[in-house]
Amino acid sequence: MFASTASFFGTRMGGTSRRFGAVLMTLLGLLAMTFFIGRVMPLDPVLAVVGPDADSSTYDQVYQAMGLDRPLLVQFGYYLRDLAQGNFGNALLTGHPVIEDIARVFPATIELATLAIIFGVVLGLPLGVFAAANQGRMGDHLARVVTLFGYSTPIFWLGMMGLLVFYAWLGWAGGAGRIDLAYDGMVPSVTGMLLIDSAIAGDWEAFFSALKHILLPALILGLNSVAYISRMTRSFMLEQLSQEYILTAQVKGLSRRKVIWGHAFRNILVQLLTVVALAYGSLLEGAVLIETVFAWPGFGQYLTSSLLLGDMNAVMGCVLVIGFIFVGLNLLSDALYKVFDPRTR
Amino acid sequence: MKSFRSTVLGTVFGALLCAAPLLGQAKTPDDQLIVGMSMANLFSIDPANAPGLDASGINANLYDTLILRKDGSPDEHVPQLAERWDVSEDGRQLTFHLRGDARFHSGNPVTAEDVAWSLYRVLKLNYGLATTWKAYGYTLDNIRQLIRASDESTLVIELPQPTDPLLMIDTLATSPSAVVLDRKTVLEHEKNGDLGAAWLVTNEAGSGPFTLSAWRANDTLVMSAFADYWGGASKLKRVLIRHITESQSLRLMLERGDLDMGYGMAASDVQALAAKGQMQIQTLPRGTMYYVAMSMKSAPFDDIRVRKAVRSLIDYQGLDKVVMPYYGTLNQQPMQLGLEARLPDPGYRLDVEAAKRLLAEAGHPQGFKTTIRTLAEPPFVNIAASLQSTLAQAGIQASIITGTGNQVYGAMRARNFEIIVARGAERYPHPYFSLRTFVYNPDNRDDAGIANFQGWRAAFQDAELNSLIDRLGVERDEAAKLNMYHRVQQRYDELAGPIMMISQMTDPVVSAADVKGFQGADAEATRYLGVYKQR
Repeated sequence: MFASTASFFGTRMGGTSRRFGAVLMTLLGLLAMTFFIGRVMPLDPVLAVVGPDADSSTYDQVYQAMGLDRPLLVQFGYYLRDLAQGNFGNALLTGHPVIEDIARVFPATIELATLAIIFGVVLGLPLGVFAAANQGRMGDHLARVVTLFGYSTPIFWLGMMGLLVFYAWLGWAGGAGRIDLAYDGMVPSVTGMLLIDSAIAGDWEAFFSALKHILLPALILGLNSVAYISRMTRSFMLEQLSQEYILTAQVKGLSRRKVIWGHAFRNILVQLLTVVALAYGSLLEGAVLIETVFAWPGFGQYLTSSLLLGDMNAVMGCVLVIGFIFVGLNLLSDALYKVFDPRTR
Repeated sequence: MKSFRSTVLGTVFGALLCAAPLLGQAKTPDDQLIVGMSMANLFSIDPANAPGLDASGINANLYDTLILRKDGSPDEHVPQLAERWDVSEDGRQLTFHLRGDARFHSGNPVTAEDVAWSLYRVLKLNYGLATTWKAYGYTLDNIRQLIRASDESTLVIELPQPTDPLLMIDTLATSPSAVVLDRKTVLEHEKNGDLGAAWLVTNEAGSGPFTLSAWRANDTLVMSAFADYWGGASKLKRVLIRHITESQSLRLMLERGDLDMGYGMAASDVQALAAKGQMQIQTLPRGTMYYVAMSMKSAPFDDIRVRKAVRSLIDYQGLDKVVMPYYGTLNQQPMQLGLEARLPDPGYRLDVEAAKRLLAEAGHPQGFKTTIRTLAEPPFVNIAASLQSTLAQAGIQASIITGTGNQVYGAMRARNFEIIVARGAERYPHPYFSLRTFVYNPDNRDDAGIANFQGWRAAFQDAELNSLIDRLGVERDEAAKLNMYHRVQQRYDELAGPIMMISQMTDPVVSAADVKGFQGADAEATRYLGVYKQR
């Protein structure tokens, strides 16, 4: 018994170690690729600091201070050493530690992306099911036009049109930024997400101001996800609806609603998990175009600005975060598979 | 029942539709100025390391200088922290007498030692802005001796080498590094001998009309009025700057009244707002110049006939009419418009036939292939596209390589380009500094590495021009100076200097109709002290 228990735990531990090792190698590989690509890109971070008119002595001084005179492998080694100690380096853009910057901008993106994926799921799933259940009919065609529109229309244009119609003309939406100026900096930061923080503080005026500002960009971002989620849902549903067990259920006299939602939809939940997780992951990476149009101080803008400056400390920090996100979402998906599909336990 | 429900829903919806604009009607606070602009290039407000235009604009409100320029004139200055100043007979010593009532935001009094230390700090840290002081001959060995406080309120500045003292006075008025720091406060935040460099990236220690209340990078920057400002407190309680990069978002917010002022908008949006007539639009001239530059290191641009041909293939007037509105004003001299020393434009025009003749004489009757490097944003990319088209009319096949600022200027600093469309020079109009930037090149060797001189970058060197500019640095006789300035411009024209000016930068600033007292300064040093809202 002891041997079998030890064997059981040994197998589990071995599996966990292997998984941990795989994650570590993935992240290391990601960092290495980003680092070396960043160093060979024709972007000069020194110029960003000293300006284009600095003389060569100033340029050389800053070049050495940034450690750029060392061999690439040595630079990477120093970076990994600092990383192991929790030091992601300082950002050129802000002068602050990269980890602080990410902690500041990431909640803004989490808030936006989470609301967007909720829109995407709440609108996309039923739309996909509806389209599949009405395959070939008007409802299916309409649903596909809507999803095609959401997928094909440049999100930048959608953002501008949204601002023009709902903000400038109708005044329903807040303008650029996360909150009205009157509340800017007034909500005590707990999570960094204004909706939650203002609710915690009981400042309902600030809450509604933040809500007014986030709804439009989240909706537009969500539209893109609606298209993707809806099309995948339709595809999965069509596959299920063509199965024999569906015919059996219908013959047994079950209602259409029960057949579609109670049977077919339940069987695609696992597949949808992956789709939604991937969609959420790509939103968390940072919807830089929407963040630009709506002046949303999020992760996407931060990463893009850092990249254009050649600020590799910030870029590497962001890449690491993105790596963790996707690894985390994959692990979460795997765990949820076991919940939704007993066959995987 | 269904009908009743529909009626109720319809009524509510209709009411919302009508009321929504009222619910959302925006209005900024009466005593706060809300500004929208891109802060993408704002990553440090340390005066010793803040070369960008955005940082200069912020620091102009957080700090004071000894003196200020009067109405954009490089020869007239008004007191600031210095009540008055004297220049010695030989022009080698300037003495500034500080006012007694100026205080830093910390409450510490402003002393002459703070001024001397601030300038020393710039040189010691040796970032980009130190170049200005090194050009005067200051070094770490001599600066503390040559720039010193003779007492609490008297600052003595000795010039290390013969120099026109007016140049130093204008530098003290306009250089972003010439602001005065609270030495005691900065040194309290010093780490590892950095003279407060790490702290000052995101903090300030000034005496200006505003203090820095908050700064979230690429998000918001808030300045609050300094109640004890020696020049009288601002009528504005706060100036809040929002990071907005998208021009159309800026425009919509200005129209809705969520912003009072917008910088850096695209020409099309400024034109649209101008057409509506509800906003105030000021077009502020800057010292910076747009140019087309050729590298004389790259054949065939070392041939004067080829350079003249390219000069005849630039559609100056077309660019000025079509591409440059709200970006710049036609200028063909290596010196800013409005300066007394500036000669009129030489009248360069697009002349394809003349260009073809010159190219044939130079041995390129069929043209040649080349590249144009430029920034991937308007108006640079539009200028490059126009140039590509006109060059092609004479057989020159140019391919455009776009990039970010540090890609394009990096290539120029490395002398690794053929043609470049870019922008540069001093941020404030001054004949001497402009010529020194564009025309002067004391050492044309590759390893001289004097990339701060655009002339060096383009591998252009002329002994007569260098000599004239050196003499302009010391000459005090106004008539003699004028003659020399004219001669420099004439000779540059004769030599078909490779850096060909096409436009002097302008900066459109859009403000709401009730914003009053905004007077844009030409040195990107606009202060909000006199601004208020008429409501």
